[in-house]
Amino acid sequence: MAANEKKSGVVNWFDTRFPITDLLERHLSKYPAPTNLNFWYLFGFLMIVVLAMQILTGLWLMMNYTNTAEEAFSSVEYIMRDVEYGWLLRYMHAAGASAFFALIYLHMFRGMMYGSYRKPRELIWVGGWFTYVLLCAEGFTGYVLPWGQMSFWAAQVIISLLGSIPIVGEDLATWIRGDYLISGITLSRLFAFHVVLLPIMIIAVVFFHILALHEIGSNNPDGIDIKKHVDKDGVPLDSKPFYPYDITHDIYALGVFLIIFCSVVFFFPEGGGYVLEYVNFEPANPLSTPAHIVPSWYFTPFYAMLRAVDFALFGFTAKFLGFVTMAAGIAIFAALPWLDRSPVKSIRYKGILSKSFLAGFVISFFVLGYLGAVPPSDLKNLLAKVFTVVYFSYFLLMPIYTRIEKCKPVPERAPGY
Amino acid sequence: MKSFLIVLLFSSFSYSAGGDLNCGSIECDDFSANTYDLASLQSGLTTYMNNCYGCHSLKYSRYNRIAKDLKIPLEIYQENLIFDGSKPGELMNISLNEKDAIEWIGAKPPDLTLEARIRKPAWIYTYLRKYYPDSSRPYGVNNEVYQNVSMPNVLEDMQANLSVAEFDKVIYDLTNFLVYVADPSANTRKRIGVYVLLFLLLFTSFAYLTYREFKKELK
Repeated sequence: MAANEKKSGVVNWFDTRFPITDLLERHLSKYPAPTNLNFWYLFGFLMIVVLAMQILTGLWLMMNYTNTAEEAFSSVEYIMRDVEYGWLLRYMHAAGASAFFALIYLHMFRGMMYGSYRKPRELIWVGGWFTYVLLCAEGFTGYVLPWGQMSFWAAQVIISLLGSIPIVGEDLATWIRGDYLISGITLSRLFAFHVVLLPIMIIAVVFFHILALHEIGSNNPDGIDIKKHVDKDGVPLDSKPFYPYDITHDIYALGVFLIIFCSVVFFFPEGGGYVLEYVNFEPANPLSTPAHIVPSWYFTPFYAMLRAVDFALFGFTAKFLGFVTMAAGIAIFAALPWLDRSPVKSIRYKGILSKSFLAGFVISFFVLGYLGAVPPSDLKNLLAKVFTVVYFSYFLLMPIYTRIEKCKPVPERAPGY
Repeated sequence: MKSFLIVLLFSSFSYSAGGDLNCGSIECDDFSANTYDLASLQSGLTTYMNNCYGCHSLKYSRYNRIAKDLKIPLEIYQENLIFDGSKPGELMNISLNEKDAIEWIGAKPPDLTLEARIRKPAWIYTYLRKYYPDSSRPYGVNNEVYQNVSMPNVLEDMQANLSVAEFDKVIYDLTNFLVYVADPSANTRKRIGVYVLLFLLLFTSFAYLTYREFKKELK
């Protein structure tokens, strides 16, 4: 490599002991990104920033938080009032959780639109899906920690779902809680998961996700394989190096994201009751159930599915079947690479059936998200049932509709930048 | 496309969260807090300490934090607003315990530090002004917002001696104070937020210009 001559002594010293230049060039500066990437390709980068922010704010929150049932709630108010800039740490961490989910949903939707899960990126997709599952667990455990009314009762509802599993359910729920009901014992174990186990797993899986991505290369909105046309050095013709072309784009996007994020943190820290729920400003009270228990907004689509199943079947209770439906709604994303049989990757070249089913999926996700956040009624319950079916039909009918529809031809090269 | 992204980001916040939209059986009266109005907050604090604090603690707040934020000299504050010899740095706990409270009033008066965040400020403002005589209740009063409430109309004498407008102002100040004490860092937060956003706008403008320059190279 010609660049070797320009290296300083220090860099050379490291390079003969650890491939630092090679690593940085492969994963950052010279990483070849397709020329036709659009703004849907920003959310992964933004999530890395949010992950770092959550770890840092979480670290400082942890220095002042007390993980006992007696002290948890007042220690959060201590952070809000007595710790220097404690309110900033707490609001950033709470809004960061919501931002993380908003970004991961956009990131996943990008993958679904452009077929980023297709061969050879199945493991990248499954790794990303696993990050999402871990993030759900992280979000849930973190939500319990302030030990407000909704913390307590959401934990009660979610953990009691395990109790609906036939035969082993009740024992399993007791084992997870460490008690016969949600108590300080549950709180301190969820705290341990939230600050140690889950973050370590998330970082490990994200590392795997990015490593696999950089090995195989990014997909693009047209779903074409840019590695088919390479120059004499093996660099794809339809690519540009990450530095400076993508990093400048990403930093600009980071600015836009931070403007939105900081507007929430500094001016609407409760996010209209969606970032911080009003009921959660009341300390946990095991003797008084809130009139209306709702999970965080990012779980409401799945909560609506849980409530939509209100009938027993084949000897299973409605609660268990609802739990299975909800879990399946999350799990089914992992199967996408094997459900899609289309000859093309991107929605741009797929037929009308794929487009309609994807649109149906998006609509059902938003409608279910709304239904999961409001008190149930007969009409809303019927709607939840209909849209749960629409949601699942996107996945389960995919092997059929992707095979029978007529697709447009995919160009050889990426369209002009 | 970018505006679509912003819509998508915000759409998740747009529908209203499940809190009480009206005040019991009636509509809430309009209330708009002004936590920059120190005179109003000081008046609210005085009303609170003299009429509410006997039963309702502010146990997540400290005496001296309020003195500092409301710009009340500590000596004056200690002389007039700390009744039990607590040190200014202490949390605002009260001596009424749960057992006695249930025996005397029938319910434990809740801590009110975060009341304005749990209920809407408009609810508090309306509730405190909607007591009416009802001989079937132990204290001879009932409330339009909170039916069969345990709390007597503590401010009854004040209400009788003041005009409607004067009494409304007292309750406005009291509610305003509760809004402040529920989130005492709000004014600081908004002040810093303006600078943060100004910086980010500047940063993003230059980031955009840089991005545009490099984008030209690719064409």
